[in-house]
Amino acid sequence: MRRFDTPVLENRELSRDYRRIEVEWPGDAGTPAPGAFLTVGVSGTTDPLLRRPFAFSGYDPREGRAAFIFQIRGPATRLLSERRPGTVLDVLGPLGSGFPDPAPGSLPVLVGGGIGLGPLVFAAREFRLRAAAGGWEAPVLVLGFRTADQVPALDLPEGSVLCTDDGSAGFRGTAVEAAERAAAGGRYGPDAPPVFYACGPAPMMAALDRRAASLGASYWAAVEQWMACGVGACLGCAVRLKDGSFARACAEGPVFDGTSIDWGAM
Amino acid sequence: MNPDLSVRIGNLVLPNPVGVASGTFGYGSEYESLMDVDALGALYTKAVTPEPRPGNEVPRIVETPSGMLNSIGLANPGLEAFVRDKLPELRRRRCPVLVNVAGASEDDYLRVLERLEPEDGISGYEINVSCPNVSHGGLAFGTDPALVERLTARLKRSLRSARPLIVKLSPNVTDIAEIARAAESGGADAVSCINTLVGMVIDVDRRRPRLARGTGGLSGPAIRPVGVACAFRVSRAVAIPVVGIGGILEARDALEYLLAGARAVQVGTGNFRDPGTAARVLEGIRDWMVRNGASRMEDIPGMLDA
Repeated sequence: MRRFDTPVLENRELSRDYRRIEVEWPGDAGTPAPGAFLTVGVSGTTDPLLRRPFAFSGYDPREGRAAFIFQIRGPATRLLSERRPGTVLDVLGPLGSGFPDPAPGSLPVLVGGGIGLGPLVFAAREFRLRAAAGGWEAPVLVLGFRTADQVPALDLPEGSVLCTDDGSAGFRGTAVEAAERAAAGGRYGPDAPPVFYACGPAPMMAALDRRAASLGASYWAAVEQWMACGVGACLGCAVRLKDGSFARACAEGPVFDGTSIDWGAM
Repeated sequence: MNPDLSVRIGNLVLPNPVGVASGTFGYGSEYESLMDVDALGALYTKAVTPEPRPGNEVPRIVETPSGMLNSIGLANPGLEAFVRDKLPELRRRRCPVLVNVAGASEDDYLRVLERLEPEDGISGYEINVSCPNVSHGGLAFGTDPALVERLTARLKRSLRSARPLIVKLSPNVTDIAEIARAAESGGADAVSCINTLVGMVIDVDRRRPRLARGTGGLSGPAIRPVGVACAFRVSRAVAIPVVGIGGILEARDALEYLLAGARAVQVGTGNFRDPGTAARVLEGIRDWMVRNGASRMEDIPGMLDA
């Protein structure tokens, strides 16, 4: 983990709501992994004051480039959307735990809801590249959006499934329904048990928790929580676990065993 | 001329005036790879209570204009786990380590101090009578001068070591100077001010508070003028050193506190924004002292034209 100023290489609109920023990422700054995140200092003034956390959506060690996808939601992300290539960005990372590898023989089913897509797109590429070596099935990436105009202009891996709540792009229905079909149907039988990876809104994450339980599948969840320090010091980003205890999204997470999280408290 | 940056608090000499505030820096190791923790003037730990505390329900933080609200609820692993798991790494620090002590009763504070007294690796104590985010103790002590004096006196009497006792004051009172005088009467070696201000943010779409607990403690540059005014008034009310806290992001912010009368400062929320804040602030204070002909920290308060 390091804090450094690094040039913005690209700042591109992906859809009506989403953008992708790519920055130079020197090799000695640590290796961004799917599920891990960075924090960005967004302004030189005191408002917005705090850094903003974003999951990595990609990393190219050969080119020395790392990327993240964000949604314009407020003043901080508005400022980020205006950052031009060539200007420098104050970044701190890589932070947090990444997604564990799928077990040999398993079928990774990666589910991204809305702006949760970034780490899943990253994981899908990684798991596909390393499927033969790792002995797991080629991953299935399922991305769900509210409407077609949210669907990002990204090169998605072959076999990716798109769905929208209103059916305006891809399948009509939720990402969880699509993921369940992917996990249950076709070549995916008892010989290739599914393992879920997900990031998205709490209701989606909770639904996947129930599906994973009924299928007896493993479930790795990347959580979103408000953060102040991002390094484990302030305890602001706690998430409630089912056993009643708290864990820090930034330090123990952001990737957790999804069946351990109290999704109702998120 | 190289200014003398050391600061004396009771029997303790801090190597420089810039520390990091309790609750914003964990136990130090969290920031290890991001800055030189050992170069700090003082490291104030996360609050230690006798029993483990899980902390408050989430969400616990929300950003506000030039500030943030937190409602962590003194989450900590408890006294025994602190001694077992955190103190060994704190002992290896080359900077002064001050343990922030909190509790729900006088006996709680006493229990923590008595347990820590025989342990090595602790330079002093900061007594937290100002946490706004717990139902019992905390702020309940810090708003009553009689309670502050009695608690301080009891804790001071219980000390076997020469470690200084710093009482951390709340701005959520009618007259902070009165509370500071009570701490001084009780035998405090210094007071630190300010802890956070009680605040609230409401999500008007959902028609509910943004923090699970409703209210939280406001910190950051938004509260700096309040903190500077408190440091100014308190330093004129007591003879013991004042440690200034509240919204310090730059050396100029710290210098406001020092000119107001504080002998040292703590960086809190600034650590979240930039882990290098404390080091940058210290460098700036040194430069300012050279430019303005201050050779020792004690020179600075007298330089205010007020």
